[in-house]
Amino acid sequence: MQGLEDVKVLELGHLAPAAYATKLMADLGANVVKAEEPGGDQSRWRGPFPGGKADPEQSGLFLSLNTNKRSVTLDVAQEQDRLSQLVQWADILVHDYAPPRMAELGIDYPAFRALNPRLVMCSITPFGLTGPYKDYNAYDITVANAGGWAWLSPGASDYPDLPPLKAYGQQTGFQGGLAATVATLGAYYRALETGRGEHIDLSTQAYVSSFMEQSFVHYTYSERVASRLGKRLLYPWGIYECQDGLIFLVVAEEDQWERLVDLMGNPEWGSWEIFQGGIERAKNQDVLKMYLDEWFQQQKVHELFRMCRPWPSLPKTSISARAGFLWMWNIPRRAS
Amino acid sequence: MDVEHPKAGKLTHLGAPYRLREPWWQVRRPAPQLGEHTAEVSAELPSPSRPPNPRPPTPNSRLPLAGVRVTDFTWVWAGPFGTMHLAHLGAEVIKVESNARVDITRRLPIYPKGMEAGVNRSGIFNEWSMGKKSLLLNVAKPKGMEIIKELIKQSDVVVDNFATGVMDNLGLSYDELKQIKPDIIVASISGFGHSGPRKKYMGYGPAMAPVSGLSSLSGYQGGSPQEVGISYGDPNSGIHAAAAVCAALVARKRTGQGQYIDVSLFDAVAALVSEGWMDYVMNGTQPERDGNHDPVMAPHNCFRCAGEDAWVSIACGSDEEWQALCQAMGEPQLASDSRFNTAAARKANEDELEKLLTAWTAQRDRWAVTQVLQEAGVAAFPALSASDLAEDKQLEARGAFARLPHPEVGPRLHMGIPWLLAESPNGVRAPAPLLGQHTDEIMRDVLGYAPEEIARLKEEKVLD
Repeated sequence: MQGLEDVKVLELGHLAPAAYATKLMADLGANVVKAEEPGGDQSRWRGPFPGGKADPEQSGLFLSLNTNKRSVTLDVAQEQDRLSQLVQWADILVHDYAPPRMAELGIDYPAFRALNPRLVMCSITPFGLTGPYKDYNAYDITVANAGGWAWLSPGASDYPDLPPLKAYGQQTGFQGGLAATVATLGAYYRALETGRGEHIDLSTQAYVSSFMEQSFVHYTYSERVASRLGKRLLYPWGIYECQDGLIFLVVAEEDQWERLVDLMGNPEWGSWEIFQGGIERAKNQDVLKMYLDEWFQQQKVHELFRMCRPWPSLPKTSISARAGFLWMWNIPRRAS
Repeated sequence: MDVEHPKAGKLTHLGAPYRLREPWWQVRRPAPQLGEHTAEVSAELPSPSRPPNPRPPTPNSRLPLAGVRVTDFTWVWAGPFGTMHLAHLGAEVIKVESNARVDITRRLPIYPKGMEAGVNRSGIFNEWSMGKKSLLLNVAKPKGMEIIKELIKQSDVVVDNFATGVMDNLGLSYDELKQIKPDIIVASISGFGHSGPRKKYMGYGPAMAPVSGLSSLSGYQGGSPQEVGISYGDPNSGIHAAAAVCAALVARKRTGQGQYIDVSLFDAVAALVSEGWMDYVMNGTQPERDGNHDPVMAPHNCFRCAGEDAWVSIACGSDEEWQALCQAMGEPQLASDSRFNTAAARKANEDELEKLLTAWTAQRDRWAVTQVLQEAGVAAFPALSASDLAEDKQLEARGAFARLPHPEVGPRLHMGIPWLLAESPNGVRAPAPLLGQHTDEIMRDVLGYAPEEIARLKEEKVLD
């Protein structure tokens, strides 16, 4: 027996939240049974598909989220007895049905606890199971907005007419699944000792809003409100265009700036007072950007990346930063 | 990681978001076909029976990870975010600090308005350190190193987010920690992980959206790749580390075995770009950047509302939701309009659809739009800013804010625990620690030092 082997997990729901939580468990050995509605998990119908042709057995999202699981079909509303059997079988139940659908399907912690007192159940929902918005309908884009993420994205934008931007894919779903895994396995750890279960009511909105960088405390401490618009607080910072691709650069420490100037061949402007110190550079970022853009346009991405390998002469235990280049990984573009 | 699937064939999947010393992470079988195991699982289920214990159990008086001690070397963001969640679950998280090397976030200028700067006053430190204890200890001194080893002997978990090699150079590699505590669980968070050709590359959190491919997929239609507004690599690796630590605690309880968890910011973000990755694996291409649009759903965007920079997100996942949207807008004729009456039609005519919607939303308050659409069952919500979040009724109603009294900054508003437990106490237990606040307590209660010894170690700048 190793890892989570023999831990019995029941998954109910659609798309990423519960599926990612139970994938994390399944990949560490847990015995995960995914009970799908007769039509199947919605991610079976989302793709991407080979050749773009929809096939519920070939959805890339589904295939990647559900390795190591077994699938049973369960018409939950019609087959309450089988649901009860599964609840009695399980050590852990993770679902992502919102409250209105939970009521229709009979997903109810007090009832399940009576069937299985050691059950650790986790409900991953957009807004949680209580509060004025509990029944609100939501997709990934809704939670990205409700959690304050879209408001900050893409960041340092010059285009106020373009809307807040959600990150690609099912990011809030994945994040809900992650927070759920932490709390669920924590509660299961205790249940192994006490035999007593737990119900975790996770609000994905609350979790997303808890990792909005420093923006929340910026407001509650300093009354400053950041948004997707405006300037960088540190500079250089951003995605720059080279001869043959894009590279990401961030200079967080002064020694990195010195090395960058050295790497650029010590141009005269590199020593200008307006570019000394992160705050000065941030203040004059429009000017500095022009010089940087000009230099980057003459560079090749991978040569640049190689040149910025770890600084060889750092003292052994130093954790001070090295040159801060990273290349942009770009999958080949669609041929058109 | 190649996975063979009976219908989809052999596909290269993204690998683990973390590497484990003990090889628990494995792909043992591909994703199942719909209902593939219905009969097999039915045979394994217990026969339907009366509830074994109809009496509800008494609530748990202690938190899930009560009794778990964490020696926390983490700083800045990724690590502290991860260990904060262990503290949320009741673990005793002891943050090892020193005056010689104060956590950068204690010095980030997010201080209460009108208050002087101070190492206990930064909002960002006070956010990621809620519920933790602070031990001042100089590990550069031999006695300091001796004490840290005594602490690790009394710990269940050790977490760090130093660059590769730092823990080894300190003499605190996993093998050395195992000598001290055979079943220790160690999680080490770094930019590119502790193995492979890039292990020595530095990796800041903000770089991870660009290098993982997430940026190349995120951005406005026809525009350049974008960062995603936050340093996503940090919280994402921290929470992955916390998840792996909880899994390792479960495994240790069942087998007595410890674990080493090597969390890479890069691997952990790459794991969440699976839709784009699978498109590349299956088709050799990736989706074009398309703003807030969805490949299937339409409408699916943020729409401008009345007021300054006010936006509401609206998404329809079905024809029923679209019809409800038309009714709610007072435009019932649109429901049967052939330009929009199927998902494919709405997607094909999305520009026109968005113009119609914008004409409606732009005249209205974002909350009014949200209310009327949600009442009709349509997913809508304003784009909330930090000040909106601080006033959000839902977060407030659920006790999602922490307002603990802090000796220097008072009861500031922080984002608290995102979950509620039915059977255990809820809420953050303590505000972030002052620098060195728990040094005496830990030396005395955990390590058994006498008051005079503690005083001497302070004088000798060991506890410093």
